[in-house]
Amino acid sequence: MSAETTHSQIAFPQETLAEVNRILGLFPEDNKKSALLRVLHIAQAEFGWLDVPVMDYVARLLHINPVEVYEVATFYSMYDTKPVGKVKLEVCRTGPCMIEGAEKIVKYIEDKLGIKDGETTADGVFTLKTVECLGACGYAPMLQAGEQFHEHLTEEKVDALIEKYRANPRANYMGM
Amino acid sequence: MAFELTNHTSKPVTAREKDSSGDSLSPTDTQKDTRFAYIDNQPYEIREGETQLQFIRRNLGQDIVPTLCDAPNLEPFGSCRVCSVDVALQENGAVRTQASCHTPVAPNSYLYPNSDRIQKLRKNIIELVLTDHPLDCLTCEVNNNCELQTVAAKVGVRDVRYPAGKNHLDRKKDLSHPYMTSDMSKCINCSRCVRACDEVQGQFVLSMAGRGFDAHIVKGANQNFFESDCVSCGACAQACPTSAISDVFESKSIANTEKTRTICTYCGVGCNLEVATVNGKVKSIQAPYDAAVNEGHTCLKGRFAFGFYNHPDRLRTPLIRRNGELQPATWDEAYDYIANELTRIKKEHGPDFIAGISSARCTNEENYLMQKFIRAVIGTNNIDSCARVCHSPTALGMQRTFGTGAATNSIIDLKYTDLIMVIGANPTEGHPVTGAKLKQFAMKKPAIVIDPRRTEMARYAKYHLQLRPGTNVALLNMMLYYIIQEGLEDKKFIENRTEGYEEFRQKILALNIDEAEKVTGVNRELVRKAAIAYASAPNAMSFHGLGVTEHTLGTFTVMQIADLAMITGNIGRRGVGVNPLRGQNNVQGAADMGCQPHQGAGYLDVTDPENHKKYEAFYSAKLPDYVGYKIPQMYQAALNDKLKALWLMGEDVVQTDPNTHHVKAALAKLDLIVVQEIFMTETAKLAHVVLPAASFLEKSGTFTNGERRIQRVQQVTEPLEGTKPDGQIMIDIMNRMGYAQKPYHPDWLLAEISQIVPFFAGVKWNELGDNGKQWPVAQDGSDTEILHTDSFKRGKGKFIAAEWRETPEILKNGQEFPYIITTNRELEHYNNGTMTRRTGNVKILTEDVLLLHPDDAARHDIKSGDMVCVISARGKVDIKARVTDEVKPGVMSSTFHFPEIAMNNITSSECDTDALCPEYKVVACTIRKSKGKYKEEQK
Repeated sequence: MSAETTHSQIAFPQETLAEVNRILGLFPEDNKKSALLRVLHIAQAEFGWLDVPVMDYVARLLHINPVEVYEVATFYSMYDTKPVGKVKLEVCRTGPCMIEGAEKIVKYIEDKLGIKDGETTADGVFTLKTVECLGACGYAPMLQAGEQFHEHLTEEKVDALIEKYRANPRANYMGM
Repeated sequence: MAFELTNHTSKPVTAREKDSSGDSLSPTDTQKDTRFAYIDNQPYEIREGETQLQFIRRNLGQDIVPTLCDAPNLEPFGSCRVCSVDVALQENGAVRTQASCHTPVAPNSYLYPNSDRIQKLRKNIIELVLTDHPLDCLTCEVNNNCELQTVAAKVGVRDVRYPAGKNHLDRKKDLSHPYMTSDMSKCINCSRCVRACDEVQGQFVLSMAGRGFDAHIVKGANQNFFESDCVSCGACAQACPTSAISDVFESKSIANTEKTRTICTYCGVGCNLEVATVNGKVKSIQAPYDAAVNEGHTCLKGRFAFGFYNHPDRLRTPLIRRNGELQPATWDEAYDYIANELTRIKKEHGPDFIAGISSARCTNEENYLMQKFIRAVIGTNNIDSCARVCHSPTALGMQRTFGTGAATNSIIDLKYTDLIMVIGANPTEGHPVTGAKLKQFAMKKPAIVIDPRRTEMARYAKYHLQLRPGTNVALLNMMLYYIIQEGLEDKKFIENRTEGYEEFRQKILALNIDEAEKVTGVNRELVRKAAIAYASAPNAMSFHGLGVTEHTLGTFTVMQIADLAMITGNIGRRGVGVNPLRGQNNVQGAADMGCQPHQGAGYLDVTDPENHKKYEAFYSAKLPDYVGYKIPQMYQAALNDKLKALWLMGEDVVQTDPNTHHVKAALAKLDLIVVQEIFMTETAKLAHVVLPAASFLEKSGTFTNGERRIQRVQQVTEPLEGTKPDGQIMIDIMNRMGYAQKPYHPDWLLAEISQIVPFFAGVKWNELGDNGKQWPVAQDGSDTEILHTDSFKRGKGKFIAAEWRETPEILKNGQEFPYIITTNRELEHYNNGTMTRRTGNVKILTEDVLLLHPDDAARHDIKSGDMVCVISARGKVDIKARVTDEVKPGVMSSTFHFPEIAMNNITSSECDTDALCPEYKVVACTIRKSKGKYKEEQK
């Protein structure tokens, strides 16, 4: 990795970098890789999604090989390796939700927003993503939007929540 | 693991009736004995650390349990589950299914490798794999040599019961790379390629991205082979059980069944290669897993860069210069011309007006013949080899301190060492297979790298001492100083095995640390830490390359490395020692065979009356008893009219020796230049006679690698029409000049060599086997992995202190030329590039580039890709810039693989003070943006 690596302009702001360094300090000198998941969350919050240059930057910070970041980032559905909209509708697709009709909910959202799983609406507001179990099986089918769970989903509930987020995309962050 | 096997089951002792086989033991013997486990209720002894798979295969054979994700050179992984076996805690007890490849065999466990249940399971696994695999076997390149196909046949899959569902059969082939190919529709997600990339090469290009159905192999960030950081070592292609990853030579195709085992012609690692031929033509090359040196691995040069051997540019007829032009001639004409000229020069001026330079690319036998020709037929000691320009200081420095100028240990010792120190070497580019092993080591255990560049090794090293070129001696003195200051010497070793320590110690303690820190530019605390790490590791191994030797104080640096090993007692056992990474495939052998002006075959001093008598009797000829010219002295002699003829066997001095103007001027003075070559090199263009030689694939002989391993080079194809092996050419001319020799064959030549070279005493062509022997080889054929175990070759090891001095190059030219350029190598090319530039490697790396630091680049308004003019006191070159912080400000780095750039136009004639090895590593220069015709090339 030379200084000439493209996108060398990518960097955390001072404050974020301090937080990253604090986290790195929690792990042994030669095993910074352990901090990868947390640093990737911070990077995603900072840059919106995990572009290759962002992942390369994280690899440099952690002294690991870039591919070690790619494999982790592509494994977890919480990380976005493509640009996403302001509101991510993450619909649980694991067993219990599926039995309770998650597939129908996904289809309904797809039709309503005119996008497919993994796509973003043209206005850049909504991204639809199917994800693995979110630990709310008792309330299936469910989806997560930002930091909020929406449970026992019905078509009406989907209509309402889409209305709500269209009006205020930041409404998906609790207390914000 | 689903459950744990224990050995405290209270099962009843079951009598076993049929126990007729000889190696089976009766149940009462083995019942509570933890040394045994059972396969199909038969007891077998367990070996320490064995997996169930190894246990079963060792006792019942390779084919009992099929595998897909397991590979001989990779760690157990357990992803495909095809190797599953049933395991019970008692005879015919309740079973659980475990993947045998990564489950340790437990004492008293009962394994059932082929129960009905297991056979069904395996069949189902393969069926599932086949639901997402194209069934185009008949047109697939690995048809009949595909592990998936073999396992499918073995488990009895005919039809897949599952209906066709979603699949990945539409994935596109990747044909972006000159060598590597992939067709991921054939991928079975076994991760063998990923593990080969990580565990064998350590490149981390391949990985598994996504999860579940979307899981797939990626190269870098979803790139193709060409864009990725792939170094084309081919380990993934060799590891892939299908043709998902392969190479353009289709090396896994069943067509490649006719194989010859031989030794690679490139670097001093000495990889064993399996060369496949079809109708006498080389089709592909693979690396045998049972090779001691490379263990199933090799690099892109060894594996893929063989296309030069039948390239249209190969020389196919002798050439004689007539009317200023090289014109085709017959062998007879060429030999007559040479014999007449040599006889005339010898008669008119004397034998010392003739000199020879042999080739470290040629076999031991050919080198032996060349020095024999020069000494016994011509009658002069003016014979040298390219060891002069690489490791001559190593040979000299280690002879002075230890008594033998060769690596003390073997590469396998990396498995036993605790710390490595790599000085002035860039093994991941220059010695890729050893480099990969060193890199793997540095990822797990501490490494010290001393190098002006942040090489790949340096990135993985715990300590990188990034010194200014030309200050090795000052830096190593600092290390010695701190070891003594910290009281970390091995006093017992020093007392028993060495001499001269007290005087040495005083000199080291008198070191001016402030000055040393200043000239090296390396923080003293970092040096102290590295010194402590080296001295306190139970076993520490050092490796060095041309960054040590190609300096004015090269010999002294080597002696300091030897001092470091002795002061810490790191000599004479496994996992320690001083290990020069010899550059060329047979540079060790060229020196062993006596291609040196001061020592004959076997390193015997030619001026010693007893040796002189011995050589004269052995060759039945009158020999001189004084030292001949070293290579740099040959040029000087030519310029002073003291040399009239020069014979070069496979050596391109014009492109590779430093200060090209000087070399060319010297050659222009000669009456006769004979060049044996496979291509028209820059030197051959100046010759009077050019003799077309055969490549390594077209002849037999032996190469000696950097760990003293004499290995068999076996002829793979007939010599190209019109060419002859170098050894045969040597023999022809000897016969022509009245010195009778039998036709070239390594068998009789080794028999002759073993009589004069003491450490070859027991070397016989037929007894070398696949993995060769490491010299010294005793009369009884036993060889030697580790040198100096009980005493040094010279008796006691000798401490020799060295004092740092600035190189004359900087003293003379440093003011006017404030930058330092240091030369290095790139993985894709080899030396002057005559071979690699005629292969696909040239598509991967197309030119020499200049590495320079962003600060220096900014000062001269240079961007990556700009043409830069580099000027030294000797001349100038125009070269493309690559701006990088791999080098420090003020230091630049480049290669000389391409004659278009001719980097040696700017290198100097400064040499090592003692061994006369040229100082390629420190060149005072200055830079500016290119002007004139070069300016346009930046586009």
